[in-house]
Amino acid sequence: MIAYLTTLIILVAVSALVGLALNVQWGVAGLVNFGVVGFVALGAYTTALLAPPLGWFPAMITAAALCALISTVLAFLSIRLEENYLAIVTIGFGEVVRILLLNESWLTGGAVGIADIPRPFVNLVPPRQYDLMLAAFALVLVAIVFVLLETLVRSPFGRALRAVRDDATVAAALGKPVLLLRVKAFATGGAVMGTAGALHAFYLTYIDPSQFTSIITAYAFMAVIAGGRGSNFGLLFGAGTIMVLLEATRFLKDAFAVIDGTQLAALRLGLIGLGIVLLLILRPQGLLPEPQRKANDFFPDHEGTS
Amino acid sequence: MIAQLVLNGFVTGLLLALPALALTLTFGILKFPNFAIGAMLTFGAYAAWVANSLLGMPLAVAAVASAVVMALVAMLCDVLVYSRLRDRGSITLLVSSLGISLVLENICRFAFGNATRNFAFEVARPIRWHGLRINQEQLITAIVVIACVILIQLLLHASPLGRAMRAVADNPALAAVRGVERQTIARITWCIAGCLTALSGVLAGLDRAVDPLLGWNYQIPIFAAAILGGLGSPTGAIVGAIVIGLAEELSSLVLPTNYRQIVSFAVILLLLLVRNRGLFGGKAVRK
Repeated sequence: MIAYLTTLIILVAVSALVGLALNVQWGVAGLVNFGVVGFVALGAYTTALLAPPLGWFPAMITAAALCALISTVLAFLSIRLEENYLAIVTIGFGEVVRILLLNESWLTGGAVGIADIPRPFVNLVPPRQYDLMLAAFALVLVAIVFVLLETLVRSPFGRALRAVRDDATVAAALGKPVLLLRVKAFATGGAVMGTAGALHAFYLTYIDPSQFTSIITAYAFMAVIAGGRGSNFGLLFGAGTIMVLLEATRFLKDAFAVIDGTQLAALRLGLIGLGIVLLLILRPQGLLPEPQRKANDFFPDHEGTS
Repeated sequence: MIAQLVLNGFVTGLLLALPALALTLTFGILKFPNFAIGAMLTFGAYAAWVANSLLGMPLAVAAVASAVVMALVAMLCDVLVYSRLRDRGSITLLVSSLGISLVLENICRFAFGNATRNFAFEVARPIRWHGLRINQEQLITAIVVIACVILIQLLLHASPLGRAMRAVADNPALAAVRGVERQTIARITWCIAGCLTALSGVLAGLDRAVDPLLGWNYQIPIFAAAILGGLGSPTGAIVGAIVIGLAEELSSLVLPTNYRQIVSFAVILLLLLVRNRGLFGGKAVRK
């Protein structure tokens, strides 16, 4: 039971990180990224390749930095275009990453993948308790990222991003560098996705291309929509609920003997799709909507604000 | 050798032309790219497979049945989802189409599993003509697609419905003033898009085999074709599709075949960098 619980915690942590990243890009800055899985895979593979020679921490940081760099390049290429085009460019990026991982076997091991990825803090605890240790590490990682992103969202930078999301023309007229703001937001999200990939690699210790399917992207969108676009608290809530609900579908297999593994996977993905559509129609603001901060929240002593 | 590649590329392009046309038509009217296009293609292919293999209809009849089913499904999606979200902006519609795509694809996977299925269809010997190998499937694809393209062009340019569709795509407010209802036109456009994707699903299933990822494999080339043609331009989508088909096939001269999909992505990137309006108009830059 403990083993199952730690597994669940780590899975929730990975999807929460991915969700937080997408929340910066799409929730706060309004930039659709359909290639989430590509960035996560890139982060995981960078970690897997660099952890043996460099150690886990430099590998994780490099993974985040590389993902941020590639996000920047992609963003510069496509971000001044309509959202529609950014969506297709990112979806294409995701596919390109998948194809490269499958075919460049000299580097990535092809379909077999990479095994024996070093884990953080292995010598600190006896192997028996290691999963607990890793779960704690995952929670700390999520907490750090959450605090950083929440600070970012509350900062002037975050306000400017929301202004750009809500009306780019007005933001530009007020002298905000729209393009630069968008690129920064996209790169920040990319870095967090890379970190999520690193955690994924640490947890499984072996990675192969089949782990990185579009379900990761779908989870992230579902989590952001369920939590409420732009709300980091909502995101954590959304990611947690969805993971637990989806894990619960695992038990459907025991209850209904007719459902096999493939059908279960199909059922889950289909339900996510249905959930996305229903939430968009019925509760577009999400379960925990983004807080609307007023001037009074920032200047409590200020009088007569209307 | 090169002539053979050009022929193959031309047919691959024709196969892409129908979904690219569907994508561009719905984009013109509704101003959002339908990310469920690949899943609609898959669904159409499965509908035809059920009619053909399980119900024993001849493939041609099954294809028509699948077109009808898909037209209804597309309209249902519009009634249940897209029309309710129409005022929320293109991003919301975009994300909802991702949701619909997951639902459609996984209905197929839930019902029929991940196994690949083939149509009950006699495989004939390829025709040889001046050293070229022409498969029967290629011939069927060419005939069906060219017929559809001619029909669509006639519909768009020589019928009151086509004029109404072009009017709504061009300026919905002005069209409404002239008594053309956007809602009705949108529904009809979804039906046409459903028919076109279903037929392309059947052709794709003939070319490869029917499996849940059938449409997904075409997703990026379809978008590349529509963007190349300038999203919203029907003629552009057809020309774009043929260019993408040729580029994919001819790339095998210099690239391993595993990297074919990257060609479409590279075309999109290059295009967005160099000529972001596509070949036939349309606007891409925000500001």
